[in-house]
Amino acid sequence: MKALFLSMLILLCVSFGDEYVVISNQNMKELSTNQIKAIFLKKALLIDDVQAVPINLEAMDSIRLKFEQDILNMNFSRLKSYWTTQHYLGHRPPLTMKSQESVKSFVKKVDGAIGYINAQNIDESVKVIYRWRD
Amino acid sequence: MKKIIFIFILTLSLYAKENSYELGKGFQIPSLPFYVGAYMSLDYKNMTNENIYRIDDLAVLGYGDYDKFSYMAEVEYKEFLSKTYKGDESYISRDMQLHIERVYIDYNYNENYMFRIGKYNSPIGFWNLLPVNVLKQTTSNPISTNIIYPKFTTGGGLSYSSFNEGELKIELLLQESVDLDDEYNNYKINQHYGISTLYEKDEYSLKFNSGYFHRIEDNISEDKLYYLLLSAKYETENYQLLSEIGYQQSSTQITTPYAGYIQWLYRFTEQHLGALRFEAYDDNMNKKKDEIGILSYTYRPSYPIAIKSEYQLHSISQENQILFSFSVLF
Repeated sequence: MKALFLSMLILLCVSFGDEYVVISNQNMKELSTNQIKAIFLKKALLIDDVQAVPINLEAMDSIRLKFEQDILNMNFSRLKSYWTTQHYLGHRPPLTMKSQESVKSFVKKVDGAIGYINAQNIDESVKVIYRWRD
Repeated sequence: MKKIIFIFILTLSLYAKENSYELGKGFQIPSLPFYVGAYMSLDYKNMTNENIYRIDDLAVLGYGDYDKFSYMAEVEYKEFLSKTYKGDESYISRDMQLHIERVYIDYNYNENYMFRIGKYNSPIGFWNLLPVNVLKQTTSNPISTNIIYPKFTTGGGLSYSSFNEGELKIELLLQESVDLDDEYNNYKINQHYGISTLYEKDEYSLKFNSGYFHRIEDNISEDKLYYLLLSAKYETENYQLLSEIGYQQSSTQITTPYAGYIQWLYRFTEQHLGALRFEAYDDNMNKKKDEIGILSYTYRPSYPIAIKSEYQLHSISQENQILFSFSVLF
C-alpha cells in the first residue's frame, strides 16, 4: 500500500511540473511550434503583415534555457554560434528583457510581440499561443 | 586600406561612447537602424614546392532593417597581401582593390514572400551562404563550391518560406546584367537564373539547386552552362554531417560530371572541433581530376575567433598541403 501511495505521489509530482507559456497580445493568430521557432530565430520576420518582435528573457534565465532547449531545440553554445553566423547574414538576436513582468507588459502593448513566461504569471490581458511543461 | 580602417574606427568610436561591445556581434550606430561589423583572416599554406603567407580577408559589413525593408553592404580586400616562397626565391603580391562583396535590399512582402535586389551570395547549397573563414569549419573550401555555380549573383531574387511541419524555402535568382564587381566572383557572367528548394525538419536539411549562367570571359570554349547541386545536412548538438554533390554541363558537353564532398564535424567541446572531409571532382574544362582527404582541427577560444589547422592528402600528390589560419569576426 505504502509503495502504491509513494509511486502515485511521484507520478503526481512529475505530471505537475512547472508549466510555461508563449504569449502575445490578443491580435496574434494561432502559431505552430515551428512558426514560434522561426520567429525567435529571425527566419520569419512578419506575422500577418505585422513585424514580429520576439522577446527573450536574460541569457541565463532558467525559463529562457528551457524555452531554447524545448522549443528551439538548441543549447546555449549552439545558439551563440547561430547568432554569430546571423550577424554575418545581417540579422540581430531578439530583444532581451529582465523580468517576466516586463515581457508581459511589452507583449500586451506591441502588436507582433511574442515572449514566454511561467504559466503562473499569465492573466487575461495576454493571449496564450503555446503551452509546454517540464 | 586606409579607407576601410578609417570607417571601422570611426564607427567603433561613435558606438563606444554609448554602449559596451561584444566580439562577433558588431555594434549599432547610435540612434540609427544600422549595425556595423568586420572580419579578417590570416593564413599560411605549406605545399611541396611553395609556402605562402597571406593577409587574406579584410572586410567591413553594415546592415539593418526599417519597417518591411532590410539592407546589407559588405566591402572587402581579398588576398590583400601575400608572400610566397618558392625554392630559393620569394615574392610579395598585393591586391589593393576594395571589392564589393554584397550590396542588397530586401523587401518582406508578407510572412511568406521576400524580394531582393542587388549583389548577394547565390543561395546555392549550404557552404556558399557562409563563405568567410571564421564561420567555416575548415580553412579551405571544397572544390565543388568553386567550379559548379557562380558564387555571387547581381540582380533580383524572390523567396517563399513556410514554417508548418518543417521549414520549406524556395528561392529564385535572376541576373540579367554584368556583375556589380566581376573581379570578385568565380565566374564572369552576365546572366544567371537559378532555383533552390530547401526543406528542413528536426535535425535534417535537404536542398536541391539548379540553374543556368552565361560566361563572358575571353577565350573560353563553353559559355552557356547548366548546373545541378544536391545538398544534405544532419546536425545534432555534438556533430554535423554535411554533403554536397554537383554536376555541370554546357549545351554541347558535360563540363563537370561530378564534384562533391562529404564532411563530418565533431564538437569535442565548445572550443575544440574536429572535421574530416572527403572530396572528389572531375573538371573537364580545366582537365583536372582529384580525390582529396582532409583532416582539420579548430580551436575557438570564443566562437567569433577561429584558429585552424588542416592537412590535405590529394591523389595528385604534389598538391598535398598543410594549412593554418587565424580569423576573427568583429
